[in-house]
Amino acid sequence: MAFTMRAVKVPPNSSSLEEARKRTFDFFRSACRSIPSVMEIYNLYDVTTAAQLRSSIASQIRQNASITNPKVIDMLLFKGMEELNNIVEHAKQRHHIIGQYVVGNEGLVQDVGTKDLRASDFLKKFYSTNYF
Amino acid sequence: MGLGLLALRASRTSLLGRSSSAISRPGFESGNPNFNLVRWIISTPELQKPEAATASEPAAPPPPPPRTPVGGARVHIEKPEDAIEVFVDGYPVKVPKGMTVLQACELAGVDIPRFCYHNRLSIAGNCRMCLVEVEKSPKPVASCAMPALPGMKIKTDTPIAKKAREGVMEFLLMNHPLDCPICDQGGECDLQDQSMAFGSDRGRFTEMKRSVVDKNLGPLVKTVMTRCIQCTRCVRFATEVAGVEDLGMLGRGSGEEIGTYVEKLMSSELSGNVIDICPVGALTSKPFAFKARNWELKGTESIDVTDAVGSNIRIDSRGPEVMRITPRLNEDINEEWISDKTRFCYDGLKRQRLNDPMIRGPDGRFKSVSWRDALAVVAEAAHQVTPEEIVGIAGKLSDAESMMVLKDLLNKMGSNNVWCEGNGMNPQADLRSGYLMNSSISGLEKADVFLLVGTQPRVEAPMVNARICKTIRATKAKVGYIGPPAEFNYDHQHLGSGPQTLQEIAEGRHPFCSALLSAKNPAIIVGAGLFERKDKDAIFSTIESIAKQAKAVRSDWNGLNVLLLNAAQAAALDLGLVPESENALETAKFVYLMGADDVDLEKLPSDAFVVYQGHHGDKGVYRSNVILPSSAFSEKEGTYENTEGCTQQTLPAVPTVGDARDDWKILRALSEVSGLRLNYTTLGGVRTRISTVAPNLVHMDEREPASFSATLAKPETQQKMSKEDFGVAVENFYMTDAITRASKIMAQCSASLLKK
Amino acid sequence: MASLLKSAFNAIKEKGIRNVAREIKEAGFLNCLPDGNLLQIKIHNIGATLVGVDKFGNKYYQNMDNQYGRHRWVEYGDKKRYNASQVPPEWHGWLHHITDHTGDELLMLKPQRYGIEHKQNYTGEGDEYIYHSKGHSLNPGQRNWTRYQPWEPTKTDG
Repeated sequence: MAFTMRAVKVPPNSSSLEEARKRTFDFFRSACRSIPSVMEIYNLYDVTTAAQLRSSIASQIRQNASITNPKVIDMLLFKGMEELNNIVEHAKQRHHIIGQYVVGNEGLVQDVGTKDLRASDFLKKFYSTNYF
Repeated sequence: MGLGLLALRASRTSLLGRSSSAISRPGFESGNPNFNLVRWIISTPELQKPEAATASEPAAPPPPPPRTPVGGARVHIEKPEDAIEVFVDGYPVKVPKGMTVLQACELAGVDIPRFCYHNRLSIAGNCRMCLVEVEKSPKPVASCAMPALPGMKIKTDTPIAKKAREGVMEFLLMNHPLDCPICDQGGECDLQDQSMAFGSDRGRFTEMKRSVVDKNLGPLVKTVMTRCIQCTRCVRFATEVAGVEDLGMLGRGSGEEIGTYVEKLMSSELSGNVIDICPVGALTSKPFAFKARNWELKGTESIDVTDAVGSNIRIDSRGPEVMRITPRLNEDINEEWISDKTRFCYDGLKRQRLNDPMIRGPDGRFKSVSWRDALAVVAEAAHQVTPEEIVGIAGKLSDAESMMVLKDLLNKMGSNNVWCEGNGMNPQADLRSGYLMNSSISGLEKADVFLLVGTQPRVEAPMVNARICKTIRATKAKVGYIGPPAEFNYDHQHLGSGPQTLQEIAEGRHPFCSALLSAKNPAIIVGAGLFERKDKDAIFSTIESIAKQAKAVRSDWNGLNVLLLNAAQAAALDLGLVPESENALETAKFVYLMGADDVDLEKLPSDAFVVYQGHHGDKGVYRSNVILPSSAFSEKEGTYENTEGCTQQTLPAVPTVGDARDDWKILRALSEVSGLRLNYTTLGGVRTRISTVAPNLVHMDEREPASFSATLAKPETQQKMSKEDFGVAVENFYMTDAITRASKIMAQCSASLLKK
Repeated sequence: MASLLKSAFNAIKEKGIRNVAREIKEAGFLNCLPDGNLLQIKIHNIGATLVGVDKFGNKYYQNMDNQYGRHRWVEYGDKKRYNASQVPPEWHGWLHHITDHTGDELLMLKPQRYGIEHKQNYTGEGDEYIYHSKGHSLNPGQRNWTRYQPWEPTKTDG
């Protein structure tokens, strides 16, 4: 499987936003299809579920929802494809996947909400670490 | 060795050897080159005939430029006529009369190799490693035992001295096992270092090495007696510093060995120091055995908090773990020794740690929560009680910063019921002289009579006890002791066990009075265990009247001392942590325990809300409703004041465990969550705040003596002394606080060493 | 050949055809049919001396008539799945001409206190035989890198 995906070539540019949109969905589908094997090879059963991984991928795609330039979308899609390829080929290690897709960018922040908005700088730092 | 090199060597020795009566070398004369393969033990050919080498030396070279003394040593010569001049390697140096040759060489900047000599112990002169050449002396002399004489010409790097060292080293290594790779001393071993610097590159010993049976010295000191080189440092340490005659030398010649005469454990609270003074790996630390190599360790210079002395220590850590604790030189406090509790309490830092904030649920079980939730619960509980019902107690190990923030926070909540455990409910915090060791720890050496009132320095402060022991050995000072029967490691008179004896002395009816009155510098040491007594004021006024009679408080000598028990006590009293009412605990509804474990929580009403902020799951935790994990002394920067009023600070050696925070940060965060924001956010800010309350606490490593003496304008007390005898302040030397109670090593010690 | 047949007949007469068939099966003669390697060893064994049998059932043969260096060999106890790692260390030396002491003699040198049982190499035999390092998440005894022991509320207080 890994070696079939390695043959992915840079596709021709999308001619329109419509085509780029279609390609994005195709990419999301292919990513979703590879989730079971990713769970298997990285042994992720006790840290996450397929649904969580799916929503994590979807949220990363949604982060760029505002982009309308098909060329930029193509570039991001290629990056995503490359990342997916790396993951499926086991070019990454377990903690990479956990760090990037299970725990997420926020790290181990306990509960992010609006509660801290009025807290001082000291208190915000105090909640996150002892060293400041 | 290649043949060419061998031939070269042989020809060089022959040049030197032929002129005078050479050692006969069969085969060399015969001219057969193959015969040269006879194995010669010559490391440096010149050393074979040192006389010849010196003779062939050209005229004396100009004196070398002055060198700086070893270790920055300085000497103060009181009377200039007592100074004598000696020459070390041709360089003149002025030393006071009575100094040894070795010390003179150190002043001249020449470090003489040594094993048996230790500058805090008596001179034994038995290792012979410090041999130097002295002009007009027929043989090399042992520099550690030879007094320097005027005009002496000492030579430390002549071939004779070098050969002497090489020979001594060869003899020492003869019976020393070659087990450096499995030896714990490896890397910090005097024998290893000096054999590299001064030894030969081979030995001639082909017989079997001797072996010695290991001795069992208890749970702290591991012995591998085969490695012993009989320097007798440990024997001298035990008798002279620790004051126990447990160790000794048995046998003669190659049967000579160190041992306890009968099978027994080393019963000293300073026994760990023999690990440091042992120049080889014969005595090593048992808990540290095979745990780490010394070059893997990171040293952090810090302060000990297990007693009120504040010994200077170095915390050796590897990664997040404290691996061992070793002493640091401080002439005024601990010299270069530390007590066993200080040295071996470190494994308590890894056990029973609180790592998450916890709240006790309605079912009585603790549940881990986030800091946000824990602080919110505490703030909510604090708001539901009236200010008079709020109580804060600082623990034994609290640093000055956190105690300051605790006091500020509780004052802001409207309560002034904040105190430090061990200071009693009615402490006297107005005059510093009333709770400090006024004559200072090093000043005790000037005293000639000691009166110990309700204190057993041996278990309360072993380093102070070592000073007293040292003074007694040097000056034969007398010691009188009032208190329950106790063990001492020096001669003492047990005068009585309660206030009655004190009364007798005050009225001049006691036989010890004559010694006290005739003393030049009498030192009265009062134990802080008396702080907890109801009749404390009466006792102290009696002691003051004794001090007045004995003229113990003069302008040049203040001999009225209080020996504190805990590291936090002095700073707490400096900061004014004094409870407002004596019965605060009985009526409290909200109790903030900052590491306080030895408070009697039985008195507390059952509906009181207890917050425990601390680093160990110790006694205080079980009654608490909320647990806030904080950092231990090895993990934070904190200011401590020791019993003589010297301010010192700890430095973080390892990271905090789990989700713990520094003490003062927790209190600062709590102040914000409860809406009473304190206006400092950094450690510097807290210290600025401290400087307005007790400026002496920001002058690090300085001793601030009490400015007024205790006898000055003190209200008369109407109290009467009760007849009750003085109690024992420290039941178990090895387990006094949360860290030592969590320690396994300390538990072993109290099991095996305190056995009656 | 005739004597071989004769001895076979005698064996059948003595033990009965069923027992002989079972013995043939246990000695692995049936496996010789698909496994030429085993067949060759069986043929080789004819006329060779059986030096010893270890506890795994491996038989060690020697035939001094063979070319030097090829005169010692082993017939593995497991007729289906055999490999060189099944030879225990005490026989390894004899089999590889390192020593002339047989494994039974060398077994006496085995240290009593810390000598462990010989285990063959199971690489490729299934997931449970894969080596995982101490920190690997698939190692059942995955090492805990916490360097302190936390206080347990449940253990001490209800």
